[in-house]
Amino acid sequence: MVKRILPIAGLAAVVALAVVATAVARPNAVRSADAASSCKKGVSIGMLAPITGPAASIGGDQLHWAQFYVSQWNKVRGHVKLKLVQQDTQLDPSKASTTSQALASNKSIMGVIGPAGSDEVQAVAPILRKAGLAFASGSATRVSLTNGAYKGYFFRDVPNDSVQGPTAANYMFAKLGVKSGSSVMVVDDQESYSTGLADIVGQFLAGKGVKVDRESISQKDTDFSSLVAKVTSATKVVYLPFQLSSQAQLFTQQLKAQGKSAVTFGSDGTFDQSKFNVSGSYISFFAPDVTTIPADAAVVKAFHRQFPGATSPFGAPNYVLAQMYANAVTKACKDNKITRAEVRKDFAKVSLPKTILGTPIRFTAKGDLAGAKFHVFKIVNGKYQTVQ
Amino acid sequence: MNWNLFVTELVAGITHGSVYALIALGYSMVYGILKLLNFAHGDVYMVGAFIGYGLITVFGGAEALSINIVLLLVLMFVCAMLGGGLLGVMIERFAYRRLRAAPRIAPLITALGVSFFLENAAQLVLGAQFQSYNSFGWKGGELWTKGFTLPAQVHVGIAQVIVVVGAVVLMVFLTVFVQRTQTGKAMRATSFDREAAAMMGIDVDRVIVVTFFIGSALAGAAGVFNGIAYQQVWPYMGFQAGLFAFIAAVIGGIGNLPGAVLGGLTIGLAESFAIGYLSSTFQAAIVFAILIVVLIVRPSGLLGRAAVQKV
Repeated sequence: MVKRILPIAGLAAVVALAVVATAVARPNAVRSADAASSCKKGVSIGMLAPITGPAASIGGDQLHWAQFYVSQWNKVRGHVKLKLVQQDTQLDPSKASTTSQALASNKSIMGVIGPAGSDEVQAVAPILRKAGLAFASGSATRVSLTNGAYKGYFFRDVPNDSVQGPTAANYMFAKLGVKSGSSVMVVDDQESYSTGLADIVGQFLAGKGVKVDRESISQKDTDFSSLVAKVTSATKVVYLPFQLSSQAQLFTQQLKAQGKSAVTFGSDGTFDQSKFNVSGSYISFFAPDVTTIPADAAVVKAFHRQFPGATSPFGAPNYVLAQMYANAVTKACKDNKITRAEVRKDFAKVSLPKTILGTPIRFTAKGDLAGAKFHVFKIVNGKYQTVQ
Repeated sequence: MNWNLFVTELVAGITHGSVYALIALGYSMVYGILKLLNFAHGDVYMVGAFIGYGLITVFGGAEALSINIVLLLVLMFVCAMLGGGLLGVMIERFAYRRLRAAPRIAPLITALGVSFFLENAAQLVLGAQFQSYNSFGWKGGELWTKGFTLPAQVHVGIAQVIVVVGAVVLMVFLTVFVQRTQTGKAMRATSFDREAAAMMGIDVDRVIVVTFFIGSALAGAAGVFNGIAYQQVWPYMGFQAGLFAFIAAVIGGIGNLPGAVLGGLTIGLAESFAIGYLSSTFQAAIVFAILIVVLIVRPSGLLGRAAVQKV
C-alpha cells in the first residue's frame, strides 16, 4: 500500500511545487521589468559582446570603449554613476541568448549595449523585449533588424547594409572600371552579416548588367588559392564583405601571388589598418577611424592610457552608445527613480550634435541611425586614405 | 577545358593536402598504438604554428627579418617540432597515462578537455588576435615571387614547394623510422598487440612516449608549413584543421600511416576541386559526403584493414 501511495504523493508534491514556483515567479518577472529602482547607488547598463572566442579582438575593443566612456562619466561629480555589467557572447547566438537571460533577470540593469552580430541581435531580441530593456548595437548592420518587430527596443548607431552595399557598388561603377558586361566576384564568409551584404551588392550589380560570380568561404579558412584561381582577367573587382580583416588581407595576398589584376574591395568588417593593408585595395566603413580624426586625439590618447595596445574602429560606436545611455539615464533619474521603460523612451530620443564618430547621432523612428552615410577608403602604402 | 584552373586547383589541393596529411599521421599513430582519438592533436598543431610565429617576431618581424630565411626556416621547424613533440609527451604523461585502463570514453572526453584547455590557455597567454606569418613580406616576398612555372602558366612559389617537399621528406623519414628501426618495429608490435608486445620485453610506455613525440612533432611542423603557406595563426586554428585531418585519417583507414597520407591528399584535392568546379559554399559538405561514401563502401577506410574480432 505504501509503495502505491509514495509515487502518487511524490507526483503531487512535484505538481504542487511547480504551481507554487509559477505563482511566485510570474509576478517577479513582471515586477522586474516595471519596477522603479533608486538612482542613488548608480544605474547598471548591461553589455553583450564577444569578449572571448574567434571575434574576441572585436568584442574586447567594444567592451573597452564602453568601459572607457563609463569611467570618464563616473569621474565627473554630480553624475548618476553608471556601472557596466558585461556578458560574453562569443559571437554565438545561443550563448548570446543565455547571457541575455542573465541581464533580463537582473533587476538593476536598465539598458543593454550590444550584442555585436546580427544573428545575436535576432537571438536576444525576444528576451530583452520581454524584459522591457532597450538594447543597442554598435556593429549589427543587417537591414531587417529594424523592420519594426522590435521598434522602440532595438537601436543601432551604425548605418545598415542598405546604405553600405549601394555605396560600395556605386563606387565600383564610378571609379573602378566596372560596367555592364564586366565581372565582379562577390565572396561571403557564411555569416549573416556577410551573406546579407553580399546579397545586396550582388543584386545591385546584377541589376546593372554585371556578371556576378557569387562565392563563399568560412571564417576558419586560410587557403583561398582555389577560389583565387577562379578570378579571371575579366574580373574587375573582388568584393569581400568579411567580418575578419585578416581574411581580406590573406585573400588579397593570395590574389597577388597568383598574378591576378582584380582589385579587392572590403566592407566595414575588414576595416583594420593593422590587419588589412595591401596597397591598392578599397574598403567601406560606417565612420571615420577615430584614431585619424584630429578632434578625437585627446580622447584616443586617454583611451590608450587606460587600455594600452591596438584598437579597432569597431570600438568607438560603443563609446557613443554608452554616452547615449548616460544621457537617457540622467533624464530618467530626475526624480531619483528609474525604470526600464523610462530609459527606453529617453534613449530613443537622445540626440548628440557632436560625437567622436565625427557626425551627429540620433535615431530614426525605426531605431536606425539618422542620416547614415558610408565612407570609402583606398589603401595607399598600407594606410587608409578617404576617397569618398 | 580551362587548364590553368585545373593545374592551379591541383597545386592548391596537394599543398593543403600535405598539411592535412602531416596532422593525420599523428592521429593515426596514436590511434594505432592506444586506440585513442587524440582530439588535442589539432591544438598541438596550433602551438607549433605559434612557435614559428614567435621566432619570426624574435627576429624582427616579417617585414624586417634580421636573419637569413633558410636559417629562420630551419630554426622554425626544429623549435616547432621539438616544442610540439614535448607538448605531446606532456599531454600523454599527465592526461592520458592514468586512463589507459579506463573505459575508452574517459580518455576521449579527456582529450576534448585537453583541447579546450590548450585553446583557452593560448588565448589567455597569446591573445585572441589573428597573427600572421606574412611570408609575402619576407625579404621582399621572394618566397612567393621566386619559384617555377608549370604548364598552363601556373606559377608555383617557393613557399608552396617548401610545404610539399618538406611534408614528403617528413613522411619518408617516418616510414623509414617505422619500417627500419628497432623502435619502429616496437611501435608496430605494440600497435598489433600491446599485451603481447609487453610480454616480449618491449617497453610499451617508452613506445607510447615516442609515438606521441613523433606524432606531435609532425603536427608542430604542419603548423609551421601552414603558417608559411596560409599565413594566419590564432588560438582556435587547431579545431578545423584537426577535424579535417581526423576525417583524412578515417578516410585513409585510421591507424594506417600510408592511409593517413592518402586521406590527407584526398581531402585537400577534394576541397580544391570542389571550390574550383562545384561550389565554394558547399566545400565542407562535399568533404563530409566523401567521408560518408568511403565509410559506406569501405568502413575501415581506403587502406585500413577490417578489425578482427577475437572471441
